Amino acid sequence: MSWRTAYTCLCHAALTLRNVVGMTQTRDDETAVVFTGAVKTFGRAGRRVRAVDGIDVRIGRGETVALLGRNGAGKSSTISLLLGLNEPDEGTVRVLGRSPGKAVRAGLVGAMLQEGKPIPKVTVRELVSFVASTYPRPLPVAEALVLAGVSEYADRRIDKLSGGQTQRLRFAVALAGNPELIVLDEPTAALDVEGRRAFWDSMRAYARRGNTVLFSTHYLEEADENADRIVVIDRGRIVADGSGEAIKDAAGHSQVSFDLAGRSTEGLDRLPGVVTVEVTGDRALLCTDDSDATVVELARLGLVRGLQVSRATLETAFLALTAPGRAALAKTAHTTEKETV
Amino acid sequence: MFQYILLEMRRTLRDAGFLIFGTGMPVMMYLIFTNIGSDDGADGWKTASMVGMAAYGALGSAMSIGTGVASDKSLGWLQQLRITPLAPSHAVVGRAVSGSVTVLPVVLTVLLAGALINGVRMAAWQWAVLVLVLWLGALPFTLLGLGNGYRLTPQGTGVVNVACLMGFGVVGGLWFPLEMLPEWLRSVGRFTPANRFADLGWATTHGHAPGATTLVVLASWLLLFGAYAVISYRRSARTV
Repeated sequence: MSWRTAYTCLCHAALTLRNVVGMTQTRDDETAVVFTGAVKTFGRAGRRVRAVDGIDVRIGRGETVALLGRNGAGKSSTISLLLGLNEPDEGTVRVLGRSPGKAVRAGLVGAMLQEGKPIPKVTVRELVSFVASTYPRPLPVAEALVLAGVSEYADRRIDKLSGGQTQRLRFAVALAGNPELIVLDEPTAALDVEGRRAFWDSMRAYARRGNTVLFSTHYLEEADENADRIVVIDRGRIVADGSGEAIKDAAGHSQVSFDLAGRSTEGLDRLPGVVTVEVTGDRALLCTDDSDATVVELARLGLVRGLQVSRATLETAFLALTAPGRAALAKTAHTTEKETV
Repeated sequence: MFQYILLEMRRTLRDAGFLIFGTGMPVMMYLIFTNIGSDDGADGWKTASMVGMAAYGALGSAMSIGTGVASDKSLGWLQQLRITPLAPSHAVVGRAVSGSVTVLPVVLTVLLAGALINGVRMAAWQWAVLVLVLWLGALPFTLLGLGNGYRLTPQGTGVVNVACLMGFGVVGGLWFPLEMLPEWLRSVGRFTPANRFADLGWATTHGHAPGATTLVVLASWLLLFGAYAVISYRRSARTV
């Protein structure tokens, strides 16, 4: 089985999922975040990089959404647009019905940035109290400290904290103002296994209060375990969007491959269960959502030389989706799309 | 904004090394400059140099705020601040106010050295006004330091600050009287913010109010450096 097949399978699934998302669109006042055709390029002329390359996404209030992608996929750039730290070159970004800058100024947003080391020489409590004081309706400081799990060392100087403690303090800073939307850019990057678990417990506790949470990660499992919905981003574009379960199901397609032995590929895409067909040399790769039915039919047709059946995992599908050589694959995906739709 | 001022003041006052060094240098320079060479007619010079060195120290402390800001920026703290509801203008003004607190110890120490060691004598009101004008008049330099800090790396800020400080010190006539400079530089010197800042002090020691030109020139620099700081702050928040 090849990554290309896994990719085309998931791509197909993603298209379907996006349609589902589109159909369940709700009213504006239930929308926390909307990106419409957002583009952000960096660098000077001739060496421009489209870090965000036409993103359309809508996040409802109260949702917990994971932004999943490799390093450099455009996650942080997307987040910087969402927080108003950068302006999109094209398209728009709206946060809770207003521009990102206004939403931030209104105290509706809290965030934990990737490179936000807290300042030295003040204590945890002093810093959290200060941040809370800038918001119109903050959490009581003691409550914020407990929620983020930093109350044990509230009176310690920030420069004396361990890496894990610092990370939790940064979470405390993000939630101190009791913001409606909280944005976490790779929040667990510096944490060990134990620290991660504690962090996600805190995050879920905050989400349960009815808040909207958007976090970015490059760990598939984290996205799956902690989000209602996963948005997969690669090269500045959204390549899949749906619930963890839905993406898993979609990626649950099997690949069936066999030698054509000179036979025509005519009609293979109409076999039971087959979603996509790809031919490399003399070998056919079928992506199928019912491998049993496909294999039975292939046997009836006598197409069983070198027959292999393999099940795609979410991991391989994700790797394929975000593999470095994907630009070349885009063409394949496109033609497959035409064949199957 | 008040909370922000408190937070920043706490940070600065907990940095003892910075306070001691920033205060010690101008005092030493003052004592050296006024006690080497002959003593002829030294009274006027001891007073003028006291004001010059207090101004120089105030200027240095005020601008050093930029180094702190630049390292805050490299930590990512400025971006974090940018995504709190604190308005950009409040962030800049708050930082400026907290920064000016560090100016006071330098001014006081140099003036004390003048009074106790060099025997400078003035009326009580003159001392009081001198402290006040040297403290508040340093605001343009605080804003200049902030602008540098928001815009440059910590190292870059350090270098630019030292260059500004030396330039202001010499061309502004804080180290030596302007009369010792060549004619063309002397006329430039009179329009530097440093010279006009010190003039607030010199006018006070001579017992009269500062001239209108002084106030206008200083106000212009204040506006210019203020705009520079706000624009730099806005830019600093961008990621690229």
